[in-house]
Amino acid sequence: MSKRVLVVDDAAFMRMMIKNILIDGGFEIVGEAGTGRDAIELYKELKPDLVTMDITMPEMDGIDAVKEILEIDKDAKIIMCSAMGQQAMVIDAIQAGAKDFVVKPFKPDRVLAAVNKLFNE
Amino acid sequence: MDTKDQYLQMFFDESAEYLQQLNENVLLLEEHPEDEEIINAVFRAAHSVKGMSATMGYERLTDLTHRMESILAKVRNKEMTINEFIIDTLFSGLDYIKLLLDDIRNNGEERTDISDYLSKLEKILNNDISIQEVLVKPEKTDLNLQDFTGMIALTEEEKEEIYNKMTSNDRIYNIRVILAEDCLLKNVRGYMILKKAQELGYLAKSNPDQREIEDEDFGDSIYIKLISALKEKQIQEELADIIDVEQVIIHVEDYKVEEKAVVEQQEAKSQVDSIKKQKDGLANIQVSPTVRVDIKKLDTLMNMVGELLINKTRLEGLNIDSDVYQDIIQQLDRVTQDLHHTVMQIRMVPIGGIFNRFPRMVRDLSKELDKKIDLIIEGADTELDRSLIDELGDPLMHIIRNSIDHGIEKPAERERKGKPATGNILLQAYQKGSEIIIEVEDDGAGINTEKVIEKAIEKGIITPDEASQMEERDKLNLIFHPGFSTSEEVTDISGRGVGMDVVRNVVETLDGQVFVESELGVGTRFTISLPLTLAITQALMVVINNEVYAIPLGSISETLLVAPEEIIQVRGQDVILLRESTIPLVEAARQLNLDIEYGKYRQLEEIPVVIINSGERQIGLIVDQMLNQQEIVIKSLGKFLVNIKNISGATIVGDGDVALILDVRNIA
Repeated sequence: MSKRVLVVDDAAFMRMMIKNILIDGGFEIVGEAGTGRDAIELYKELKPDLVTMDITMPEMDGIDAVKEILEIDKDAKIIMCSAMGQQAMVIDAIQAGAKDFVVKPFKPDRVLAAVNKLFNE
Repeated sequence: MDTKDQYLQMFFDESAEYLQQLNENVLLLEEHPEDEEIINAVFRAAHSVKGMSATMGYERLTDLTHRMESILAKVRNKEMTINEFIIDTLFSGLDYIKLLLDDIRNNGEERTDISDYLSKLEKILNNDISIQEVLVKPEKTDLNLQDFTGMIALTEEEKEEIYNKMTSNDRIYNIRVILAEDCLLKNVRGYMILKKAQELGYLAKSNPDQREIEDEDFGDSIYIKLISALKEKQIQEELADIIDVEQVIIHVEDYKVEEKAVVEQQEAKSQVDSIKKQKDGLANIQVSPTVRVDIKKLDTLMNMVGELLINKTRLEGLNIDSDVYQDIIQQLDRVTQDLHHTVMQIRMVPIGGIFNRFPRMVRDLSKELDKKIDLIIEGADTELDRSLIDELGDPLMHIIRNSIDHGIEKPAERERKGKPATGNILLQAYQKGSEIIIEVEDDGAGINTEKVIEKAIEKGIITPDEASQMEERDKLNLIFHPGFSTSEEVTDISGRGVGMDVVRNVVETLDGQVFVESELGVGTRFTISLPLTLAITQALMVVINNEVYAIPLGSISETLLVAPEEIIQVRGQDVILLRESTIPLVEAARQLNLDIEYGKYRQLEEIPVVIINSGERQIGLIVDQMLNQQEIVIKSLGKFLVNIKNISGATIVGDGDVALILDVRNIA
C-alpha cells in the first residue's frame, strides 16, 4: 500500500509542486494544510505516514507544528521544507524531532530520496 | 492546459497576491518599525515569492527576494533597524519584483536588469559591521585523506576526560564525513551529522565544532572523534545513510581501556540560539478552499443566464390560462432570479482589490511632492462586479493623483490657512440601492471655478458670454471636458496628457456617472456611482412613436401623469413644478431625432412623464406610453454602432422583439 502523506505549506503553489513530486514517486496525498494549526488538526484526523512541513506559515509556524504533532504521536515522520536562509530554523525543527529536510526549490530526486530513506529504516 | 501553464498561472496569481501583501505590510512597517508581526509577515511573503520563483527557475526573482529576505532577517534579528532608507529600498525591491513578473508575463523571461539594485542591497547588508558575513570558506588545508587525525587531536586534559569515560567495549573512532559538493543547507546537514554521531556514541570532539557548523563556517568535511561500542561498519553505514553524505572514512584508534567505567552518555546540549518563534495570526493571505475560475467563463455563464431570462420573459408573454402554466412560470421566475443573483455574487469581488494599491501611491507621491497626506480607506469590502473593478483602477488613480497634486496643499500653506499640516484623502465605497458609490474626498484647496472658467475660455471650450451665464456646478463640470487640464504645467503626477474627461469616459462606459463637488479652501469630493452589475438590470418599458424602449430603473426617480394645464413655460421651455422644484420637460421623440411632428403631447389629457435623475439634476422625459417594469438583459449594439447618441444598448423583450435602451443620462 502506498504511504499516505500530509502536505503542509502556506503557498498553494508549493503544495502543488511537492504533491506532484510525491504522487509521481508513488505516494498518496491524503491532505493539505496551509497553516501549522490546520496541520495539527489534519494530522489527528488523518494519521498520515508522513508530513512534509513548511517552516514559515501564518497561524503557527512549522517548528511549533512539529512539536505539537510529535506530542500527539512521538513516532510521527516529518520532513521540513526549507528554503536557503532558514538554516537556524531547520536546525530547531530537527532538534524538535523532524526527521529530515528538503530544500526549495524542490528537486524531485532529492525529495524522493529523503522521503524513501525514512521508510527504509 | 499543460502542466507548465498550470504552474505559471498559479505562480502569477499567487505572486501577485504576495506582492500586494508585501506592499501593504512594508507600508505598515514604515509606521510601526518595531512590530515583529509585521516584519515576520513581510519576511514570510518575500520568502514565499522566493520559493515559488526558484521553483519556476526565475533566477533574478529568486536572487532579488533572497537578498531582500536577508535584509529582513537582519531586521528581525535586531541587527539592523528599520529606517526610511531601508523602507525605500524594500519598496524599490517590490517594484523590481513587479517588473520581473511583468517581464515573465509578457516575454516569458526576466529582462529587467537588477544587478545595480542587488549590489545596493549587498552594500546595505555589508555596511553593518556587526554582521558576520555568512560565507562558505574554502578548505584551508587539503589534508591527506588518510591522515586527518590531526584535525581532531585532543589536548591532554580532553584525553584524560575521555579516557575516563570509556568502557572496555569502547573504541575511539576518527571519522571524516565528506559532504556532497551540491549539498544544500550544509549547516543543517552538518547538524544532523553531529546529531547522528551523538546517537551512535559519545561525541568527543568535532572539527568544525557545533558552533562553526551552525554558522556554516566549514568546507566539505566534518571530522569527528567518536567514542562508541558499536562496530566500525555500523557507524560507517549509519553516517553514510544521511542524505548528501558522499563518503565516510573511519580510522580506529588503538587505545583501549581495561577498566570498566560508568559511561555517561551525555546528551550534547545544543547551543543553538533560540530563534524567536513567530506568533500566530496576522493580516495575510488566508488559504481558503476556493476555486480560481477564468473570468471569461463567468462572462459566458452570465450570458447564458441572460438568454434564459429572455426565454423566460417570452414564455411569460404567452400568457396561457392554465394553473400548471402559472405554476411553471412562477417556479422558473424564482429559479432564474436565484441563478442570476448567484452568478452576480460569484462575479463580485471586494473593491479593496483596487483600493489597496493606493496607500503606496499616496506615500510615494506625497514624498515626491513634499506634502503630508493621510489616506483613509473605508468600505474596502464593498463588492463590485469583477469587470467593473478592472476598469476602475485607472480612473480612481487619476482622481487621487489629482487630489494629491492639485488638491492637498503643502504643509506650510495648510498651516497658514489654519488647517492641520497633514492633509486627508478619504477614499470610500458603499452600496446605495442598486448602485455602488465610490467617493474620493480631500480637504485640500478646492477647485477655483474662476480659474476653471479662465482656462476653459482660453482653450476655446466656452465663450465668455456662455461663462457669465453658467451655474457654479456647470463651471465645475468643465473639468470633465475633453482637453481640459487646470494644471499650469504638465506635471509628472497628474498631468499626463489625460484629463478628467478620460475619467468620465471610462466611468460612463461602465454605465456609471461621476460628479464633482468642491468648495474653495475646504476641499473637493469626486463621486462615482456605478450599477451593481452591467449585464442585467430592471427597466421601465415605454413606448415612443410605436416603438418599445427600455429605461434603466436606476436612473428613474418616479413616473407621473401630467395634465397639460400643469405645464408652465419658463424662458420658452416647458417645465412642471414638482414638490417645489422646477423640472424641465423634454420630449423623448425629439431627443431621439425621430422624424415626427413634435409637441403633440400638449393635446393629450394626461401626459406620461418619466422623471429622470442625472446626478443632482432632474428632467421630465415625455413618452407616449408606459408599459411595465421588467428585467432586461443588456446587449451591446456591437462595434459598428458604438457612440449612438442617447442609446446605450439593446435588449430582447418578451415577444422576441428588440428594444433599444435609452441612455437617459445624456438626455438629462
